[in-house]
Amino acid sequence: MAERETTVGPEEGIHGRPAARILKAARGFSSQVVLVKGDREVNAKSIIKITGLAKKGEKITVRAEGEDAEQAVDALAQLISADEH
Amino acid sequence: MKLTGIGASEGIAVGPAFVPATGKPEPERTRIGEDEVEAGLQSFESAVEAVAGKLSKTADELRDSGNEDEADIFEFHAEMARDPELASAVEERVKSLKSPEAAVIAAGEEYAAEFAAMDDEYLAARADDVRDVTGQISAQLMGHAASGFEALEEPSVVLARSLAPSDTARIKEGMALAFVTAEGSRTSHVSIMARSRGIPAVVGVGSALESVLDAKMVAVDGTEGAVITDPDHETVAEFERLSGKLAEESAALDEYRHVEASTSDGRRIEVAANLGSASEAEAALEWGAEGVGLFRTEFLFMERDELPSEDEQYEAYTAVARAFSEKPVTIRTLDVGGDKDLPGVDQGHEDNPFLGWRGIRMSLDTPNLFKPQLRAILRAAVHGSLKLMFPMVADVGELKAAKKMLHKSREELEEEGFEIGEVQTGVMIETPAAALCAAELAGQAAFFSIGTNDLVQYTLAADRGNERLRGLQNADHPAVLALIRHTCEAAQGAGIPVGVCGEAAGDPAIIPKLLSLGVTELSMAAPSIPRAKKVVSSL
Repeated sequence: MAERETTVGPEEGIHGRPAARILKAARGFSSQVVLVKGDREVNAKSIIKITGLAKKGEKITVRAEGEDAEQAVDALAQLISADEH
Repeated sequence: MKLTGIGASEGIAVGPAFVPATGKPEPERTRIGEDEVEAGLQSFESAVEAVAGKLSKTADELRDSGNEDEADIFEFHAEMARDPELASAVEERVKSLKSPEAAVIAAGEEYAAEFAAMDDEYLAARADDVRDVTGQISAQLMGHAASGFEALEEPSVVLARSLAPSDTARIKEGMALAFVTAEGSRTSHVSIMARSRGIPAVVGVGSALESVLDAKMVAVDGTEGAVITDPDHETVAEFERLSGKLAEESAALDEYRHVEASTSDGRRIEVAANLGSASEAEAALEWGAEGVGLFRTEFLFMERDELPSEDEQYEAYTAVARAFSEKPVTIRTLDVGGDKDLPGVDQGHEDNPFLGWRGIRMSLDTPNLFKPQLRAILRAAVHGSLKLMFPMVADVGELKAAKKMLHKSREELEEEGFEIGEVQTGVMIETPAAALCAAELAGQAAFFSIGTNDLVQYTLAADRGNERLRGLQNADHPAVLALIRHTCEAAQGAGIPVGVCGEAAGDPAIIPKLLSLGVTELSMAAPSIPRAKKVVSSL
């Protein structure tokens, strides 16, 4: 298992195009990937669940379990924090 | 009865009411037997594939025709249809003997309620997207279409709790006189679509809508956000008068849409559109655009994590070039400054971004930004008639340096074996310095384009964004007109055309002056085109 905490970067938070990018990236890994915010834990491969999960500046933990867990956490943490200044 | 809501799309309409059969599809059966579980799960899977496939196809078609924003909506819906969480929520319910068509509605309602409870207007509006998609899957399972719009066969005012993209897509052309919805905001899909199709709409009238669903006639004022059900004769007469007046005005202008405008002394004036992205191309052509006088490229660079690649830019420029085919499209290279962030470019802090490192200044200093753009434009020029212009030029040396880089990009592309097209190179005249040095610049440029908004701001030293200085935002000022005259004289001396692409180009009061000074092309927001052509024709 791999996990990392990161801060939401995109201006609009996690929805719209940033959400679509996160979804696409998550689907590329065979690991189970979840995003954790507070006591909510959602499947990163579900657009319904990740849309509106967090606003810009909020903390999210990416957690993955499986063969490519490390790479998945790297890629998603980077996407989620992108645009940060 | 009178209802008040948000005027989401302008215009006036009076007509019979149409209420689509309830948006909530009724499952034909709610329970199934043990032995039907396996078949139920399989039929859910194939219904998802069918619905998601249809949605993706629509998204692709929209993208091909340049409607990026609508395409994004349908792609989002396709993703929702395929959502693994939705699938497991349905599976769980089917295993406890709920029928798949009832299970998908129930799961959809659960997610919709989560969205509706969010404190962000945009996210709360996504509740309708979930209901729309799960409704479609349920209808697919029952073997019929989800929408109640088949019965809409005479032009009517549509009353509904909310309207999803899949609903509005099924309404036949000309059948919706206006939309009235209980839910929604100016950013709901129905509002965006109503505006783009020119259909009046009032949204967000609230639960009051339910008490008027049995109305026979409805009068809608989409400008004021007013809805009157079963109006009396006087109200109908008043609405019809207003609607007639609006229709007459726009009809009177309609005949000018596709004329080639000339003044009475025989000067042909090309009237073009200013575009912010390729998705606006179709509408601009319908308004009668004879080309694009200003294609802004900023949209490609904003709100993203990294700079757009050369290929991505090539696609975007090709889309607009193809849409206009032989009609000229003038692409302005990137014009941003310290007032907007650019991914991967450190702009530092600037006290005066509008007098700062922006436009051609930034481009020349940042080849990894500028070169891919030049290369993409040269490559896209194969697909249409592209021109290129540089913003914020204050000195002929800048133009020479930019042309040198363009030349180098051309050589490199040729060496790499790319096919490239002919591209005329022009200069934006938007600094007083450029206007005063017009004769020198004319020797290096194939055309001029006067950006009056910035020229006014820099000439009168008056910030465009400052409300208190609105009185100074005036292209009709003698100092500005003197600079335009100087620019036109220099252009005439060199035999090159001069366009205007600021707000003044579409202003009926200023057009006559611009033409008398020697301007030969006007470029403006597309809806202003018919009026501008009428003004030109009357001179």
